[in-house]
Amino acid sequence: MVGHEDSGASKKKSTDSSNDLPTFNAENLQNNTKIIYYSRTFLSIIGGVIAGILGYTGLTGFVFYFLIMAITSLGLAAKAKFSIHSYFDCWNRLLLDGFLGGLLSYVLFWTFAYDIVHIF
Amino acid sequence: MAEDLVLDTAIRDWVLIPLSVVMVLIGILRYFVSKLMRSYQLPDAKVVKEGQVVIRARNLRAAANFIPLKSFRARRTYFSNEENGLLHVPKGQAQNAQAQMFSDPNMAMDMMKKNLSMIIPQTLTFAWVNFFFSGFVAAKIPFPLTQRFRSMLQNGIDLSTVDVSYVSSRSWYFLNLFGLRGLFSLILGEENATDDTQRMMQMSGFGFDPTRSLSAEKDSLDIVQHEWALPKFEQRAEAVLRRLVR
Repeated sequence: MVGHEDSGASKKKSTDSSNDLPTFNAENLQNNTKIIYYSRTFLSIIGGVIAGILGYTGLTGFVFYFLIMAITSLGLAAKAKFSIHSYFDCWNRLLLDGFLGGLLSYVLFWTFAYDIVHIF
Repeated sequence: MAEDLVLDTAIRDWVLIPLSVVMVLIGILRYFVSKLMRSYQLPDAKVVKEGQVVIRARNLRAAANFIPLKSFRARRTYFSNEENGLLHVPKGQAQNAQAQMFSDPNMAMDMMKKNLSMIIPQTLTFAWVNFFFSGFVAAKIPFPLTQRFRSMLQNGIDLSTVDVSYVSSRSWYFLNLFGLRGLFSLILGEENATDDTQRMMQMSGFGFDPTRSLSAEKDSLDIVQHEWALPKFEQRAEAVLRRLVR
């Protein structure tokens, strides 16, 4: 995927599928969560620059942000081969965690790129 | 009402980019300075012991379902027994630890140092921005805002008909302050000292009290319902071994 950098670390299996009861390896779970956070931050910065260059204003820009976040979720799910339960404890963590955390960085870089390209 | 103002290229060269670059560099500097200034204080033996007891109790709570009921109960009594259980602290001693912590000079110095290293660069940068970069339009934010934000975002500009999207450099400073946190977490590795809003949230919830955490652990240990998670383990082991042999 263009611009999708996975921080070089691989996701590790957090659960052992041979038990009936799900047990989690806390360290791997934390590592996977960190990977999600880095991916989202990086993509929100890149998305901000793209939105600024393309000249989106107002609502279109925010819609683009949510689109970027959805693409991130899709990419992460594909990387986990869609078997979420062996890497994370629940779906929400992959889809919704840190959704709004990248918004401020996105707005900063969006403003920056927009100004440089269009106003000046 | 949506005429585009044409702004001087010099503003871009001498305001936006230098301000962002300076803030990034100050963040990196602050990270390294806080790393260098971190003083190692010898941990108090009693505090460490209590911390380890809490960790043991937490492990017991997490893995409670993997040991038989009787052994779980035995361990639980060891912790929360009224007379000599490890987690039980008589009420009289409960208040001392907090008072002791705040008068402990080492810890107070540490907190002060951390706070100062956070506040001083921010204050200095803000004063610098106000002094040099005030009185003109610095940037245009790409989304429209209502009139109420005018006083907040445009405080150097005294024309009231200019669109609220055109902001002064003070608001560019604040935008940078919040937006560069994500960038710092990417280039500086793990959660670092530049995440000041998170630090402020932590400060408000301060009040770390070892005896309080002990009684909290005791309560949560008392609540745990034991459910034996490995009931037919022999059959399951047999099934796995059969599969391997086949």
